[in-house]
Amino acid sequence: MDVVIRAALMYCFLLFLTRVVGRRELSTLEPFDLILLIVLGDLIQQGVTQSDYSFTGLMLAAGTIAVMQTSVSWIGYRSPKKAGLVLEGEPIVIVQDGKCLERNTKRERIREEEVLEAARKNGIGSLDEIEWGILETSGEMTFIQKSQ
Amino acid sequence: MQGRGWHIWVRRGLFALLTLFVLAGLFNAFGQRPSTARAASPEAELQITAPTRVRGGLLWQARFTIHAVTELKQATLVLGQGWLENNTINTIEPSPVGEASRNGSLSLDLGHVPAGERHVLYVQFQTNPANVAHRTTDVQLQDGEKLLLSVHRTLTVFP
Repeated sequence: MDVVIRAALMYCFLLFLTRVVGRRELSTLEPFDLILLIVLGDLIQQGVTQSDYSFTGLMLAAGTIAVMQTSVSWIGYRSPKKAGLVLEGEPIVIVQDGKCLERNTKRERIREEEVLEAARKNGIGSLDEIEWGILETSGEMTFIQKSQ
Repeated sequence: MQGRGWHIWVRRGLFALLTLFVLAGLFNAFGQRPSTARAASPEAELQITAPTRVRGGLLWQARFTIHAVTELKQATLVLGQGWLENNTINTIEPSPVGEASRNGSLSLDLGHVPAGERHVLYVQFQTNPANVAHRTTDVQLQDGEKLLLSVHRTLTVFP
């Protein structure tokens, strides 16, 4: 019984954690982030399965996470405005008409250099060429160029 | 995609099975919530609180509460073989006065229990992981050699 409860609580906590940490941290995977993820995985395992070495325990924990993930995804799909906003957040405009929106970039801890780097990766040379720059809920930056 | 409309129903069916499995786990189908069994005789009452379903590796506790109606000069708990088979005993508190094997069962001599008093014995177990079984975990309460009462229990160990 308790392995299901622990797995469910772990899922809720991770969901909370990903929303608190911010989308930029989630979209990049620097070496330190990778180590943090491994450490996090180990801590999660200890908290969820504890001394349980059984295959049944594994199926219960993994099954609980799968059921919760599908349920959350379904809730987000059925109610994108209310639940989707809480679970995934909403896209944020970071560049408008060639200018970085400082209020939004500060909120997401993004430097202008990072925006420029992402723009270059999309084949855009300078901010002046951008009409809209959006930070998507996945943490990825997408750009709409000004029409020529 | 034509003719594959049933695929989604297979997936939904399998997901429903997974949900049922998780719910069964939540409602203790695979352990380890303890259950209580009681038995009484004119001389004493015995209450056993322990899980009847566990999984490999789990740490769990069995609590034996003896309530002496009349004086028990040499209260003895006899634990069936299923309690010990592939279960490691981490500790028994308070330590019994003596231990012995009685026809393959573990006999714990708890000593003198005055009339009207309770004796609570805690046994901490850990189930060995490579151990899948359904065993009888009967318990007998004796006063010396005299059988006072017995409780029939089983222990299921999931893989």
